[in-house]
Amino acid sequence: MNRQTAPTDWKGAVMQKRIAGRYAAERRFRLMGLGAVLLSGAFLAFLLFVMVGNGARGFMYTHVEVPVDFRAMPLTVDKTRLGDADADQVIANAGLADIVAFAADEALGTDGSKLISENAWKEVRSAIKDNPELLNARTVFDLPASSEVDIAAKEGAKGALGAKVDALEKDGKLSTGIHWPFFRNADATDPAVAGIWGALKGSVLTIFIAFLIAFPTGVLAALYLEEYAPKNRWTDLIEVSINNLAAVPSIIFGLLALAVFINWFGLCQASPLVGGLTLALMTMPVIVIASRNAIKSVPPSIRDAALGVGASPVQVVFHHVLPLALPGILTGTIIGMARALGETAPLLLVGMRAFIGDVPGGICSPSTVLPMQIFLWSDEVDRGFVEKTSAAIIVLLVVLLSMNAFAIYLRNKFEKRW
Amino acid sequence: MTQDDLTITDPKMKAHGVNVFYGEKQAINDVSIDVGTDLVTAFIGPSGCGKSTFLRSLNRMNDTVASARVTGQIELDGEDIYAPSMDVVQLRARVGMVFQKPNPFPKSIYDNVGYGPRIHGLAPNKADLDVIVERALVRAGLWDEVKDRLQESGTALSGGQQQRLCIARAIAVDPEVILMDEPCSALDPIATAKIEELIHELRGKYAIVIVTHNMQQAARVSQRTAFFHLGTLVEYGKTTDIFTNPKQERTKDYITGRYG
Repeated sequence: MNRQTAPTDWKGAVMQKRIAGRYAAERRFRLMGLGAVLLSGAFLAFLLFVMVGNGARGFMYTHVEVPVDFRAMPLTVDKTRLGDADADQVIANAGLADIVAFAADEALGTDGSKLISENAWKEVRSAIKDNPELLNARTVFDLPASSEVDIAAKEGAKGALGAKVDALEKDGKLSTGIHWPFFRNADATDPAVAGIWGALKGSVLTIFIAFLIAFPTGVLAALYLEEYAPKNRWTDLIEVSINNLAAVPSIIFGLLALAVFINWFGLCQASPLVGGLTLALMTMPVIVIASRNAIKSVPPSIRDAALGVGASPVQVVFHHVLPLALPGILTGTIIGMARALGETAPLLLVGMRAFIGDVPGGICSPSTVLPMQIFLWSDEVDRGFVEKTSAAIIVLLVVLLSMNAFAIYLRNKFEKRW
Repeated sequence: MTQDDLTITDPKMKAHGVNVFYGEKQAINDVSIDVGTDLVTAFIGPSGCGKSTFLRSLNRMNDTVASARVTGQIELDGEDIYAPSMDVVQLRARVGMVFQKPNPFPKSIYDNVGYGPRIHGLAPNKADLDVIVERALVRAGLWDEVKDRLQESGTALSGGQQQRLCIARAIAVDPEVILMDEPCSALDPIATAKIEELIHELRGKYAIVIVTHNMQQAARVSQRTAFFHLGTLVEYGKTTDIFTNPKQERTKDYITGRYG
């Protein structure tokens, strides 16, 4: 055969230049990829650093030692009623708040009552309820400081307040420790008693409701669409609709829920029930899509094998397809649930942004959720809420990360290899 | 009557005037075949000739294809398998199937074989199931290789062992007919020889229908051979006749390797 052109010169200058260019392109690409990884790593590290740095202090609180002598300032209250349900009211009416304020003034000097939290007397109250004998004695209580004192103690302050705090610290009257009320209480106007538990419990209940509704519905819908539904124009339409539903902005689900669940069905406002239903609406399309993909990836040969020994379609689904698709379905579901957990917008509209001072008792009592609590606290004027906000963010992130870790665990546990 | 008599006096399955359509396209055109009770019947023909399609219509596996439509008559022991009164789940238990690619369930060897008997309620208790599983594995010639590791995953076996496991799974429900769709096309020659040997041993216990691309295999294992071409049955007869003395020109061209 005749060659029309000269033989390729593999060693020539043009070829060497091509080789050098190829290597350079390779290096460039690798560096860019590495840069992208480093940048996202830096973002993550920055986020964690700032959050942990600010938030860790949110879990701590400053307490002031205040001796209260009930022998000098008796609290006139019928001791037999301290076990009753209205004991709180009885003690409050007897003027405990004034006694504690007076004791603080006496112990800490003029305006001493301003140094402790205005809710500090409530701690004394619960101590009395636990042990009525305190009413006959002089006791030193570790009472939560006021928000200004707490910040001054943590960050240092100038002026009269700073001097006062320094003096207290020198006397050993200040102590800083983990602030358990933060993990026990619901929202409050006073950072000394505001807690995350109300929002955390609200989130857990809401997500539980959402899971209870969205998971079975989503998985059943996916199974039906993949295994039973005929492929025609109607199922195509349903598929497009589900994909579109997954892309609908979440606030629109909130409006829908407001109109349907609250205005039409008359369900309880601002409750985990309605919030859960709203998030279920939002998460279901995500679960359907993830489940359909997982079901699709089960090899058809397994279906043939089961049908070939005489399994009915339902047996094929429940004995073979569903167990094999489960890791994918669970991963998709948990990621959907994690997204729902961080969702704020749709819940604004069903009333979950209200100030709720009580820990929700059930799925129908008013409540708020973690991201909403973060939003509410970040809006507060009181400086004490700044670190509460960071602490709440840490709680939310811990919950999210544990959910993701659980997803990975489930996937590895159920994954079958062949 | 000798086994190689051409006339099948007691057919297990009878197909008469069968047409199979996929949507508008006709894949099988007017095929009539009798499958003998004690015989191995081989379907041969070039790719796309419809032999697998026809095989899958014998236990209604084509039902899973939405666009597939079967007309004509297919009988199992004189009973129309496409009649509304026929339960397709029971039919597939009576007419078992082995597929081209070994497809064990990602479960233990024991559960693979025990699955069919379990869902059909053939084993009232564990001891009965143990017996059924052992018998099926013995018949499939796999017992000696796996008896010490029945709880290991079926997918951990070699390709040939997997295919014999699939055969054991099919015979565990005690079928009357076993359909094999190119059971050796994914196996090496040694595994293939084992499967062929197994088919010899199973002959007489089950009516066997095997689709194969390999003409030597058809000649080795079967007593009846059907040659399909372009969706029609060109010739059907004793295997020896088909390979030594074909009546049709197209059959002759195919087995001598002129096309296909």
